[in-house]
Amino acid sequence: MSRVRHYAQGLALAALLALPASIEGSYYQYLGIIVFIYGIVAVGLNILAGYAGQFSLGHAALMAMGAYTTALLTKALAPLPFFQATGAHIWIGMAAGTVMAAIFGALLALPALRVRGPYLAMVTIAFGWVIFKILQEWVPVTGGDLGLASIPKVQIGSFELQTHHFYYMALGFFVLALIFQHRLVHSAFGMRIRAMKHSELGVASVGVDVYGLKVLVFVISAAFAGFGGTLFAHQQNYISPDNFQFFSSVFFLLAILFGGAGTQMGPVIGATVLTLLPEMLHDFDKFRLIVYGAFILLTLYFLPTGVMGLFERGVRPSRLSLPTDALQQMGQPAEGSEPELTGAGASLELDRVSRAFGGLQALRDVSFRVEAGTIHALIGPNGAGKTTLINVITGFYRADAGRILADGRVVAVGSMSAAARHGFVRTFQTIKLFGDLTVLEHVMVGFARHSRSGVWSALAGSRRSKEEAHRNLVDARKLIRFVGLEGLEDRPANVLPYGHRRLLEIARALAVMPKLLLLDEPAAGLVGEEIGALAAVIRRLKASGMTVLLVEHHMDLVVSISDHVTVLDYGVVIANGTPATIQRDEKVIKAYLGTAHAAA
Amino acid sequence: MYFFFQIALSGIATGAIYGLIAVGYSLTFMTTKALNFALGMWVMLGGMLTFSLSVQYGVPALVALPMIVAGLFLLGLVAERFSVAPFLRAGSDVWVMSTLAVGLLMIDFAEIIWGRSPTPVPSFLGNTPVRLGPLSILPQQLFIIAIACVVFFALDLFYRRTLTGKAFRAVAHSGEVSALMGINTRRVQAASYAAAAAFAGLAGFMVVPLTLAEPQMGTVLGLKAFAIAIIAGLAAPRGILFCGLIYGGLEALISGYLYTGIRDILGFSLMILALAIKPEGLFGRPVEERA
Repeated sequence: MSRVRHYAQGLALAALLALPASIEGSYYQYLGIIVFIYGIVAVGLNILAGYAGQFSLGHAALMAMGAYTTALLTKALAPLPFFQATGAHIWIGMAAGTVMAAIFGALLALPALRVRGPYLAMVTIAFGWVIFKILQEWVPVTGGDLGLASIPKVQIGSFELQTHHFYYMALGFFVLALIFQHRLVHSAFGMRIRAMKHSELGVASVGVDVYGLKVLVFVISAAFAGFGGTLFAHQQNYISPDNFQFFSSVFFLLAILFGGAGTQMGPVIGATVLTLLPEMLHDFDKFRLIVYGAFILLTLYFLPTGVMGLFERGVRPSRLSLPTDALQQMGQPAEGSEPELTGAGASLELDRVSRAFGGLQALRDVSFRVEAGTIHALIGPNGAGKTTLINVITGFYRADAGRILADGRVVAVGSMSAAARHGFVRTFQTIKLFGDLTVLEHVMVGFARHSRSGVWSALAGSRRSKEEAHRNLVDARKLIRFVGLEGLEDRPANVLPYGHRRLLEIARALAVMPKLLLLDEPAAGLVGEEIGALAAVIRRLKASGMTVLLVEHHMDLVVSISDHVTVLDYGVVIANGTPATIQRDEKVIKAYLGTAHAAA
Repeated sequence: MYFFFQIALSGIATGAIYGLIAVGYSLTFMTTKALNFALGMWVMLGGMLTFSLSVQYGVPALVALPMIVAGLFLLGLVAERFSVAPFLRAGSDVWVMSTLAVGLLMIDFAEIIWGRSPTPVPSFLGNTPVRLGPLSILPQQLFIIAIACVVFFALDLFYRRTLTGKAFRAVAHSGEVSALMGINTRRVQAASYAAAAAFAGLAGFMVVPLTLAEPQMGTVLGLKAFAIAIIAGLAAPRGILFCGLIYGGLEALISGYLYTGIRDILGFSLMILALAIKPEGLFGRPVEERA
């Protein structure tokens, strides 16, 4: 498959290289340039919307930032003799335009940190509108509705590029953009943003700073848009607000939806078809919006995953079925894989931790100690505050009062990523996995906190990031074997049975190399054998030195694996002790069964 | 000081229009968590129909009004059926694009039917200003403020006192549980979408005598109304009217004292800021995410 794809890509590239020579006239070259430029912007939007799941209907405005910045800068610098001779002002302008768009991308990310989905779409629309209006109204600088004319052409030295030269330059940048996209998506960063699309909480739980991640992805996406804008300005030599209307933003989003959001070739197909379509329908200019509107509706109806989505679904149905032997061997890992994977567990001490929601005191002066290297169960009736306590320990909620100590030292757990830094890592009562990311990718995302290589080294394809990726791959396979999911590495998580998903969540948490693993009702929804497998995994965790805090309703499991049990009721610790003593404790029986039973 | 109050007063009338459109976003958001992203185009349709009926065919305004409102309600049902319902069921966000697509279709069809040039539509209440002490106001503006207040009051009663209104609120709270209680959630969702379209039609009917009727009129109106719905909080209908009136007044003052060009720039920047600081809106209650 990948070979076929390589050939197809090579052929397409060869055809594009040959095009200017084989077809007379500059009209098709011009069209090609527009496709490449729109393609670059679409790639940027694809990273944001397709991979990271953040809607934007304001990309035309980011493109405008790039275009206007380079236009103003190059026009100001062009008369200087130095720049006339070297042409350096063009490259300075293009770099400045890209950076300017990136800065505005960061600004746009600020509200995006707080809102999702349609709200975000609307914020980006408003952002685009504000930029558009400023371009219209700030006449002394932007030229208002008339725009900016006689923007310098691209020159290398004193040689001015003609259309067919520009064609090759734009093609080169477009290919470069696709290579960037490829590297980015397959880097650790790429896995994180794809994971974020499915569950922000899940990503946060492995210690990723979701805010930072979002800002970064907006900045990268905006830089693509801004860069496309600079190319546009120097190609057209004339820009006006009309080039960057709201409908242009709709166009870019449509391009990736049609091509296939979150696929690498989607933006290519989308930008090509949507640029050429109106050209073919030149006589129908009056019906332009009708054509686009109908096109959107037809795409949404008949190509919900885009052209590339259709293609991918066709080629790998095998990924969706599970090998039966892999299902049967669940929880039966290879021997001797555990010790090197998990470090020594820490002890946890809670000192009068309290948390209220409005008038409801969910936790009141909760104090207990979890010894290092033990399995400690936290039980209690529904609404006792168990999950709230986990939320407090792992930084999802802030405690109103009280201290949390790891190995005797007070730790500040202000956020989920801070808690993960201290080695407090959790799983969720309602599983928070990353959709169609594979089992292996899930665990790879878990290594995020220990990642030393950032976006730039991934883009540059540095040796360090490759070595790290390789090391993580080896470790991830070990962890998958450890929880007994061997053989399922390449399956998307959303086709796994429920029990497997629970184990995968544990594997992901282990990748963070926790000192304390907090399991929030891991047995909920599991059937008998699955619970057995889960118990085996937890026991092996203890054997390897891990500290486990287990919230669970399933009493058989609690009694059979716990060293120590703490009972919460109405936010207060009512009992503490070994499973055997807890089972006989009157207060516990009363809390669970009511007074009549306790008396009897 | 006279200038100040005079401008603010006429701004409030425009604000009432914004509020009326904005409540349409709130209606559909409450029941479906989805919005008609092209609601402004529905306002435009209402405005263009007002032009056709009252100027071209000479239908009396008070006959035209119910025709427009009922017509847009029915059209809204149709649009919901094919551009929203299929995607709601799939649980995806693509209704953002599909409702926009319907809006694009509407703009082009309107241009084909009515042409691009703006046309005046006279108010059925005449153009003699009504005097309120030292201030004066157009009868159409008074009419708008009055109707908006009536609509919001009626909506409040509807939500709180009628069984159907309670069903709406139940669906808003949890569609699944409502369905279990025997509420036809599909019907509630479709009705809320159609009602939003009808309110938009009413807004269009009322706004064209103050502005002009043209196919491009909907975009900005729809955006501003959305800004107001967001600032107030999509789940807070009462706050929406309040915010609409304030927004309209402020906007008129900015135009009057600064200049018109900067008006929308400030307005939309304000919306972005409001969302960044208080995503649930000024009158909304925060929703805690569960872990």
